Formats: sequence, structure tokens, C-alpha cells
Amino acid sequence: MPADGSDSSAPPIPAPPTEPAVKLPTWRAALQTLPLAAIWIATIAPLLLWLLARQDPELAVRIKQVTTTAAIRGGLGLALVASVGALLFPPVPAWVRLMFERLRLSFASDRGPLLKALAELEHFASAARHLEVGRLALTRSELPLAAEHLHRAVELDPSIAGAHHQFGILLRRLGHLQQAAVAFQNAEHLDPGHAFGAALLELGRCALLAGDERAAAEILERHRKEHGGSKQSHYWLGKARAAIGEHDSAIAAMKYAAEPTKQRLTPEENWFRALARVWLWRGGRR
Amino acid sequence: MNDFLRQADRIPVTLVVAIAYVTLFVLANLSVAPEQLPARLDEFGVLTPLNVAEGDAWRLIAAAFLHANMLHIGLNTWALLALGPGIETELGSLRFALLYLVSAIGGHIAVCLVYAPYQGVLGGSGALFGILGAVFALNMRHGRHLFAFLQDEGNRRMIWFTVAYLIAGIWLPVSNTGHIGGLLAGFALTFCWLAPGREPTRNVRRYRIALTALFCSLCFVSLSPAARWDQLWNRSIADESPYGKARRRAATMHYRGIPSADEQDVREFATSEVFR
Repeated sequence: MPADGSDSSAPPIPAPPTEPAVKLPTWRAALQTLPLAAIWIATIAPLLLWLLARQDPELAVRIKQVTTTAAIRGGLGLALVASVGALLFPPVPAWVRLMFERLRLSFASDRGPLLKALAELEHFASAARHLEVGRLALTRSELPLAAEHLHRAVELDPSIAGAHHQFGILLRRLGHLQQAAVAFQNAEHLDPGHAFGAALLELGRCALLAGDERAAAEILERHRKEHGGSKQSHYWLGKARAAIGEHDSAIAAMKYAAEPTKQRLTPEENWFRALARVWLWRGGRR
Repeated sequence: MNDFLRQADRIPVTLVVAIAYVTLFVLANLSVAPEQLPARLDEFGVLTPLNVAEGDAWRLIAAAFLHANMLHIGLNTWALLALGPGIETELGSLRFALLYLVSAIGGHIAVCLVYAPYQGVLGGSGALFGILGAVFALNMRHGRHLFAFLQDEGNRRMIWFTVAYLIAGIWLPVSNTGHIGGLLAGFALTFCWLAPGREPTRNVRRYRIALTALFCSLCFVSLSPAARWDQLWNRSIADESPYGKARRRAATMHYRGIPSADEQDVREFATSEVFR
């Protein structure tokens, strides 16, 4: 054994992925500016109508009436589409609950602890402190800040499993599935069963989403054996098994995911249960 | 009562507003026959969208100090003395005065935008709802995070009370439009300006500019309404008909549900092709 106490027989940790370029999806950026845009439209529209009314009052009235009618009909139409959507795709209530929970979390996460962690980082920079900043930024969906600090944490001390795990979540959220899989692999390698199997589950999920269904099925099966599995892990396991043609075992996994439970599920688990129920209802089709 | 008098020097604006309520109520009701009271209140500043559109901008503020009867003034003064001292002490007197005025204007702008041109409103409740909005904004700002105040039973009850009052307002003879306008104005003013949080970010500055522009725009549109058929209708009556004033009177009575000799004319005009 070497002098530093490390086990030379253990495989080396793969190099951590590079810092990702963070670019918010267009729809998300648009969604963030939507309230501001609505205020500006509400500001400008009456003034434009006023200017128009000076030239042609009847046209201004007609435009206002047409717009109001269109807005009312549009709202009713959207409600109708949403109702039909809920009929065609039954997990809509579960999705609404999940979205509401995410919204609540985004509002309910204060920036104070993040600012405090950033201030502490200025006094003394360490991997743990970078990790703390990155974790808090990730919770608040401040992805550029999270990317910078999580990458720095992994760079400074590649032996912290939590840093790899958080970095993996960030990469997965940014859509870099291959790199995320490497990060989760590192976390699992450093701390087997890290975060009660969450890293393993994420690893399986990334493998499935990246198109490696066989590896995903193996990883998720291991997760089921070692950690008992959850609604989410059984859902992904079912998808992976179905993709490699093991239809019966896929149905068994999905049935487990769709089973009702006595205790109240978290919004995320409830969402995967709803997806599994629909999958079974449709006979194993997407 | 003793506590209230002891802190009187710290809440001058609340007291001035309460005294203004009572003084104007007494002056408006002094030696006036009940049937003449509407006309007297109109002189003192009852707000109708039409009056504001015709240039009486002062009514946007004056109507927030007028009250129609004892119950009206009693409830509003009680609400002012219940909510005002705490918020005035928290924000400071000048800021509280600004909050009251902006909320009053906000509530009355909503009335101008939504109500029929001859429908009148009066009372300080829009501004009082603005103070309630300020309470919500301060609670949101003072917590560990924006919604931490919901963990407190008292705060939750206050929200339910507000919602219940707004729902009851559908049936009660109160102006829900003015209440909601005042509530939003008071909330926005406090949230973005008076208690902007630990770090007024660039986003807050953007919202400040946008909300100021919106407030100015809606003020302008209340004073110079353009695309409301009823305003154009009224303008047409005034401009085109030789019997403009008579028809306007008839229209007023029509809106108040009083049948008049000219009602048929008004109805024909309202349903004419021009305004379909």
C-alpha cells in the first residue's frame, strides 16, 4: 500500500467532466421575462389605442372589442385544450402537483444562505465551500453560478463524492447526459451507495436517456437490489427492460411503480407513479 | 386607548387621515337633506370615471377621504386605526402617506378602467386595502424566504379574511374593483420600493421601471379614455346631439336603473351599429 494510505488496487477515478457552458433553454428564458413583458404590453396597449382613437375612434373601439373577445375565447380555448389534454394524458394532475412543488421550492429558497456561503468563500476557498455554494445555487436554479463552483469543487478535491453527485445533477439538467453519467459514476465509485442510492439511480437514468438501455437495466436492477428501489427507479427500470425486449419483467417493474402506497408520495414519486400507470394502461407503449 | 395616545406623535399621518375622514363626513352631512346628499357628496369629490375623464383628476384622491354613511366611515376608520399605526411605524410617516395616496389612486384607476362612466365610488377602503397589501409585502420581505410568513397562523388567517371579504364583496354594496386595485398598488409599491429586500437586484429595478410606466399609462388612460365604447358614446352625445346634456342625464338615470323619458333614445344609441 502506498505511503498516503490509498488503495493502489482500486481503479482510478475518471477525470471529472469539464465545466459546462450554461445556456438556459429559450422557453425558460422567455418564461422568466413573461411577467415583465406582460406589464409592458399592458402599459403600451392603452396608449396606442389612445393614439389610434384620435384618428379613428371606431377602429380603436373595434380593436379593443376584438382583442377582448379574442382574449376571453383564447382563455376558454386553452382551458378546453388543457381538459382534453388531461383526458388524453391522465398524469396531468400529477404533473401540475410536481410543477407547483417546483414553483414553491423556487420561491421558498432564500438567497441569504447562498450569499453567506459566497462571503465565506471569499475568506477562505476550499472544495467544501465551493460545493456548498454550488449546491445552494443549484437549489435556486442559478445554473451558471452552480456550474462555476461545482466544477471548482470537483477540481480542487476530486475525492468528495457529494461534489461529483451535485455536478452530475447540474450536467443532467443542462442535458449533458454522457458527462453527467461520468460524474455519477465517480460519486458511486468514491462512495458506493452514495446518498442512499441516488447517484446510482441517476446513473441508470442517464444511461437510459443516453440510449444505453442494457447498461441502464443492469444499473437500475442493482439499485433495486441494493436500495429497494422507488417509484422512480422502477419506472426507469421498466422503460429500460421494455427497450431491450424483456416485456414481462418491464410490466412487473411498472406494476410496482404504479402500485398505490399507504403513505403520501412526494410530488416527484407521484409523477413517476402516474407515468407508470399510463404506461400500463396503454399496454406498454410510450 | 392610552397606548394609542402615547404613540400619537409617531403616527401623524394615520391621525390626519382619520381626522380628515371625520371632518369631511361632518361637513358633507352638515345641514343637508338626505335627498340632497348625493349632490353634496358629488361636490366634495365622489369619483365617477366620467368625471375623471372630463379632467377632475383631483377626485382620484379626494374620493378616498369621503364616506357615505355612519357604518361606512365607522368601519373604515376602525380599519385605518387597526392597520395604520403598525405600518406607519414600520415604514415611516412620509412613506406611509405615499402608500395611502398611491393605493387610493391605484384603486380609483381600476374603477375608472372597469366601471360604467356614471357609476360613482367613494370611501377610503381602496387605500386601506393598499395598506393590507403593504402588510403582505412586508411579511414576505421580512421572512427567511418569501413565503415563510405562511407558516404563521395569524398571517394565514389574514389572507383568508382578505379573500373572504373580496368574495363577500360580490354581494355587498362595496367596490371590489377598487379594493383589488388598491391591494395591488399597495403591494407593488411596498414590495418593489418601500421594502425592496436586502439586495435590490437588476430584476427589481426592471420591475420598478415597468410598474412606474404602467401606473403612469393607466393614470393617463383614466384621464383620457380612448377605446371604451361608453366614453366614446358619451363624447358623441356631447359633441353631436343638440340635446347632449339632457341625454347625458338620461344616461345617468339609465345606469342607476331609473326609468326616464329619454331611456328609449339612450338604448337605441347604445345598440346602434356604430358601437356593435
